[in-house]
Amino acid sequence: MILTGVFLAVIGLGLVGWFAARARARLLYTGRGSMHSMPNYHGWHMALWIIVPALIAWAAWSAIMPGLVDSVVMADPAAASLPPDAMHRDAIMAEARTLAANPNAPVFNAEAQTIAEPLRAAQTRYGLIGALIIAIVAFAGGAFGFTRIRPDFRARTHVERAVLGLLLLASLMAILTTFGIVASLLFEAGMFFKDVSPIAFLTGTHWSPGNAIGTDIDDNFGAVPLFWGTIYIGAIIAMIVAIPLGLMSAIFLTQYASHRVRRWVKPILEILAGIPTVVYGYFAALTVAPIIRDFGATLGMANPSTESALAAGLVMGVMIIPFVSSMADDALAAVPRSMSDGSLALGATRSETIKKVLLPAALPGIVAGVMLAISRAIGETMIVVMAAGAAARLSANPFASMTTVTYQIVQMLTGDQEFNSPKTLSAFALGLVLFIVTLVLNIIALRVVKKFREAYD
Amino acid sequence: MTNPHWQSDAAAKRISRRNAAERRFKLLGLGAIVLSLSFLALLLFIMLKNGLGGLDWSFLSGTDSTDPDTAGVWGATKGSLLTMFVTLLLSFPMGVLAAIYLEEFAPKNRWIDLVEVSINNLAAVPSIIFGLLGLAVFINTLDMPRSSPLVGGLTLALMTMPVIVISGRNAIKAVPPSIRDAALAVGASKVQTVFHHVLPLALPGILTGTIIGMARALGETAPLLMIGMRAFVVTPPGGVTDPSSVLPMQIFLWSDEIDTGFVQNTSAAIIVLLVFLLAMNGLAIYLRNKFEVRW
Repeated sequence: MILTGVFLAVIGLGLVGWFAARARARLLYTGRGSMHSMPNYHGWHMALWIIVPALIAWAAWSAIMPGLVDSVVMADPAAASLPPDAMHRDAIMAEARTLAANPNAPVFNAEAQTIAEPLRAAQTRYGLIGALIIAIVAFAGGAFGFTRIRPDFRARTHVERAVLGLLLLASLMAILTTFGIVASLLFEAGMFFKDVSPIAFLTGTHWSPGNAIGTDIDDNFGAVPLFWGTIYIGAIIAMIVAIPLGLMSAIFLTQYASHRVRRWVKPILEILAGIPTVVYGYFAALTVAPIIRDFGATLGMANPSTESALAAGLVMGVMIIPFVSSMADDALAAVPRSMSDGSLALGATRSETIKKVLLPAALPGIVAGVMLAISRAIGETMIVVMAAGAAARLSANPFASMTTVTYQIVQMLTGDQEFNSPKTLSAFALGLVLFIVTLVLNIIALRVVKKFREAYD
Repeated sequence: MTNPHWQSDAAAKRISRRNAAERRFKLLGLGAIVLSLSFLALLLFIMLKNGLGGLDWSFLSGTDSTDPDTAGVWGATKGSLLTMFVTLLLSFPMGVLAAIYLEEFAPKNRWIDLVEVSINNLAAVPSIIFGLLGLAVFINTLDMPRSSPLVGGLTLALMTMPVIVISGRNAIKAVPPSIRDAALAVGASKVQTVFHHVLPLALPGILTGTIIGMARALGETAPLLMIGMRAFVVTPPGGVTDPSSVLPMQIFLWSDEIDTGFVQNTSAAIIVLLVFLLAMNGLAIYLRNKFEVRW
């Protein structure tokens, strides 16, 4: 509570420092060329000296204060009645914290009432100590900044260096995120592979984590059916829909359509890519799946299921159309005009030129686009969650319900909340596999696209 | 003099065959577009047909409920707004600053290559992976409140940032070097040049990219499923740490209900979400057309 106020106070103090230093620098200003930096830069310099050290102190204190408060409360006589087991005690402490913030909050453990009072006292005491430390740091920083305001002081250089530091920090966020993803996936998947052998996981063909207890644990975590379902839905069915439709629409829009038609149709086609996947999922479950089930029934399937690989793959394919189309568009546009002109001049028709000259020349770009499309399709979650089903089976029947890697990740993490069971950890192992596969697909595709562009430049 | 060979029956036949193939091919292309667009039309038609009847004031101002007649979307909408607020607050400054650094200041070395590669890859990582990251880091390690717009916003910010960086870099790249040269020539420092001249000129492009990234984040469900934003929330969230739901999650939760009354609710919520997305994309197109400068 107190610390939030301190944070705002530090920002306010920085603002005051900004005005003070600017005013002071203005007094020193006697005419053109009398100062190295403009008064505003002196203001920023001082504000930085107030805010940056004080916020570092603030962050440090926010990190250590809860530990200090807890140890004081535990030493308090009122805490003697607490149960010794750590988990129960943490629950009571959490409730006491809520109580300390809001005395009218409902509680389940009576002990929380007794320690809420010492807890609040300790919080106030350490909050005030922290506020004092932070205030000293802020004022010391401010005083130092203020004494440096002199006509020949290069405030702008200092401020600009700080700005550059900030820019660098922001761009390092990307590396940090990548590192965070890799580290958390590897860590949690590592815990999973302590229980289940990676070979059984990658080559086993039986997936039923619900039954995994005791010694046969390896036999129930075979992920091959999930990999098959993912490939079948994302890389086969969806691509059978998306590649011809996407490629043909790109060809029509770039080669045949008039400029006006292209200007209108292309953005409308792009709407397909902007519709949220949960909407596609609902559409697949509500409209497409029953049609496919009935179709399966007329084909003579014995009780076809509502959830089918075909429904999910079909809708996913439609979602990917604009993506394939715009990748093919780029690839076709990169082919030099002289090549198709040469073919047309020899008397080939447009379609012959497209089939014999343009498409072969643009093939690397199109293949890379398809790879990116596949990487997007296999990572797609909501459509398969809502339309593909939960049955892990190795089957090539498109009317059968089939499960995918993403479906199982959702399934494993939204059921029970017991975090360290192999069942929940398996989601991270699946995530790791998904991450590696999409990463490899993306890197290869981006490289092919780059090479391909260079070839015609 | 015409070559008699060209007028032979065989030649005429061949030419008409080739022309027919040409027409067939063109028709195939047209068919592909018509098929794609009719799918879009069918989707929109079905959502409108099922949902329009349910769109009224009590639906827009109500919160989630087990009774389809009283359930509404305001709770989820507010959750979405709070989540988007957190996302924007984080990803916009971070993304713009990173784009400026990479485009204007970054030296050519291995580290910067690594940053570029990771940004390009992050933009293509499946969204569910970001959900796993959010679950492992924000909830399990940093102990932030589950189901809250804070965690949802942070997770989506990590996902949106690469999109903003990429579009920001393109917008900055499009500002011609003569602008920079002119500013530098009258004595501006490099930082002044960038912040006083390049950035304002690139801003419309950056904003367009940001809005498109935010629209993507608004429709995202899978990563939020991972961090538990599927709670049944009856009271709209009061702040970023309260448990809440978001619009796409509400759609997902209702789509699972057995009561057929929820079909109308789900479709109506989809209409609300699509209206939001349409408005955002419309704004992006407007900004681009209004402020885009062709150098």
